[in-house]
Amino acid sequence: MSKPVLQIEKLSKSYSLGKRNVPALSNLSLTVNAGEFVAIMGPSGSGKTTLLNVIGCLDKPTSGQVLLDGIDVSKLPENQLYKIRRDKMGFVFQTFNLLPYLNARENVELPMEGRIKSKSERKKRASELLAMVGLSGREGHRPQRLSAGEQQRVAIARALANNPAIVLADEPTGNLDSQNKQEIIKLLANLNITQGTTIIMVTHDGQAAHHTERMLLLKDGKIINEKQGTHLMKKNHTCPHCGSSIQMSDDTCPTCKKPIYSSDEPFSA
Amino acid sequence: MSIMVSIPAGVLANQQTASTVASNLSNVISQTSASINQTATQIDCSLAPSFSGFGFGSGSGGSGSGPSFVFGGGSASGRSGFTPGQFGGGTVTGQFGGGAFNGGQSSPMNESLYTDINSTISGVAVVEPILQASEGQNVTTTLSFNGYTRDITRLDVEYTIEGIPLTASLVDNYPILPTNITAGSNLQAGDSGVVLLSENNSAYFGAGVGDAITILNQTFTVAGIYSPSSVSDTQTLYMNLSDAQAITNNTGYITSLTVFAQNSDVVSQVATSISSVHPELTVTTDQDRLNQLQTLQSTYNTELANAQASDSQTYSTAVEEIIVVVAATSLIVLFVMLYTVRERTKEIGTLKAIGFSNLTVMGQFMLEGILLSMIAGVVGIVIGSIAAPTLSALLLPSVGIGSRSATGAVIVSGTTRISGLSVATLSPELILLAFGAAILLGTLGSLYPAWRAAKIRPAEAMKYE
Ligand SMILES: Nc1ncnc2c1ncn2[C@@H]1O[C@H](COP(=O)(O)OP(=O)(O)O)[C@@H](O)[C@H]1O
Ligand SMILES: [Mg+2]
Repeated sequence: MSKPVLQIEKLSKSYSLGKRNVPALSNLSLTVNAGEFVAIMGPSGSGKTTLLNVIGCLDKPTSGQVLLDGIDVSKLPENQLYKIRRDKMGFVFQTFNLLPYLNARENVELPMEGRIKSKSERKKRASELLAMVGLSGREGHRPQRLSAGEQQRVAIARALANNPAIVLADEPTGNLDSQNKQEIIKLLANLNITQGTTIIMVTHDGQAAHHTERMLLLKDGKIINEKQGTHLMKKNHTCPHCGSSIQMSDDTCPTCKKPIYSSDEPFSA
Repeated sequence: MSIMVSIPAGVLANQQTASTVASNLSNVISQTSASINQTATQIDCSLAPSFSGFGFGSGSGGSGSGPSFVFGGGSASGRSGFTPGQFGGGTVTGQFGGGAFNGGQSSPMNESLYTDINSTISGVAVVEPILQASEGQNVTTTLSFNGYTRDITRLDVEYTIEGIPLTASLVDNYPILPTNITAGSNLQAGDSGVVLLSENNSAYFGAGVGDAITILNQTFTVAGIYSPSSVSDTQTLYMNLSDAQAITNNTGYITSLTVFAQNSDVVSQVATSISSVHPELTVTTDQDRLNQLQTLQSTYNTELANAQASDSQTYSTAVEEIIVVVAATSLIVLFVMLYTVRERTKEIGTLKAIGFSNLTVMGQFMLEGILLSMIAGVVGIVIGSIAAPTLSALLLPSVGIGSRSATGAVIVSGTTRISGLSVATLSPELILLAFGAAILLGTLGSLYPAWRAAKIRPAEAMKYE
């Protein structure tokens, strides 16, 4: 039904620390289809960030192949990679990474600068994106005048600026309180359904992971387990417990009254 | 950094002062040469020693303050184009530096003793007795230079009266009055109770044509105003000799005589005759004046050479300073920008992660560095224009040489004020130059930090501290 947007074959990545070789990813293979919402979990140091960096062309693999939209990016030089990052990738960071001296709209405009010549067109699109993440009317606000949750919304709008093939989010809820965590995860899930955005999200938070459709467990640079998330069911409008029909906005099943998302750790040992 | 930018600005300002001095001196030299050709049959006679030239003068006599009235000597300023005796010698106790004149003060001479010149000496066409007197304030100033200090008391001349006989034979036939009348009319034969003012006089008295002015308690009507043709008679006003004698209480006395020979061939013969009949007189002929002016010219040439030497010395100092400052400022921009780049590693990583090319990032930081130094440049120019004279005097002793010449230039250009040591001003070219330097510095200093910024790994964006 969907075509693969990301194909990773036998990917290895190691860092050299002085004379020591630190393996971060070893012989990892993964395929992600367009429109998927994937969670990557795993203990600290298991290679989650490294994997996102390699997928996002922020770092080069030591060996193996990474195909993005059919393009092998593992061999591309830097003067081509920046265009891949700009045109095919959207990044959401744990620390938001907005530019403090630019307002919300200008931050969202940044990735468009190299692509869209017309300033007014960029402005228009940035405003639309801010509206999409629920921040209309806040265009002129600088990051310091926005709450953490709002800053992450701006960052998500910025990630969507160039209609990326994949949005990569490294612990996007890691710096948020539980209320904002919920809102951001729902925003991402909603974007995945309404816009068809492919999202790969690294998270420590089991509850957040349940909101995706595929949960991967990384350990020592390898994917050692995979489970289905609840999001897939929700996408199909079926309750994970009783199979009856549910709405997107439902948190509990109208038929069996059970909470739709489990609060269990998906990969408890 | 701003201070740094202001230093070469100050140096350059002084350098410009020095070059202004040079060009002023050149002007005076050409004026002097021109006046050599103007005099033909004129012979000046006075009791005073004639012009003694540049350098430290020594004199004796009065000091103190308050209005002072001094008889000036030398040749009539309107014609020779140059009056050495502007500063009354009697009040000058010492002159500092190049350019102040220890001019000859004439002793008043009894007019009746010299009536024989006209009748007994052959070859004389006409005799013009002159009474010249100046009024001004005695001013004592202390100048210091290279550790020496010296008190100078001088007459700050406010105006000089030149009394000449307004007879038809003289007025109508000889160039004894200024010719460039800008308002009203020139003095006429037989005039009395009227004066011809220079433009400076007019401003000093605040009087125009037809106005009454009071000179030494006597009221005069302003007949006309002239524009001085030479640098030296900017403060000379003309009146009838008998009026001048009356108001200065010198009836029967004059300060000099101008004898016109019948033609230029007999000038030296007439001069010799005057000298033999009146050995007490200093007789100056056309030829003498020529020699004198040539001496003056060579003095000026020396002074000009000095000014130019100090000019180039100041210039090379300026160049050295600029090199040092360029280097220093570049270094400061370099360190500030390196610090900025380090502080903003995550931001730069983010920019690269969201699709900025190395080149764009580099350009961004170059621009910031240039902007930084431009702001510094503006502040530097502002500080520089306020503090340049002080700064240059404090920091750069060599500038003082140029300034000393500047003092000379101020005098030779006809102003009677000996100005302060250094007058450094910032011209638009200098401001542009400083601004250009600032941009250059910014570019140089930002190059390496910008390159460092471009080399930051985009993965830095993912780091969480
Ligand atoms: N730049 C680097 N230099 C050296 N080692 C690194 C670097 N980045 C990550 N590593 C190492 O690679 C392994 C995986 O790190 P990372 O991908 O950050 O893990 P996670 O995001 O899952 O916590 C760790 O052992 C870490 O120390
Ligand atoms: Mg990590």
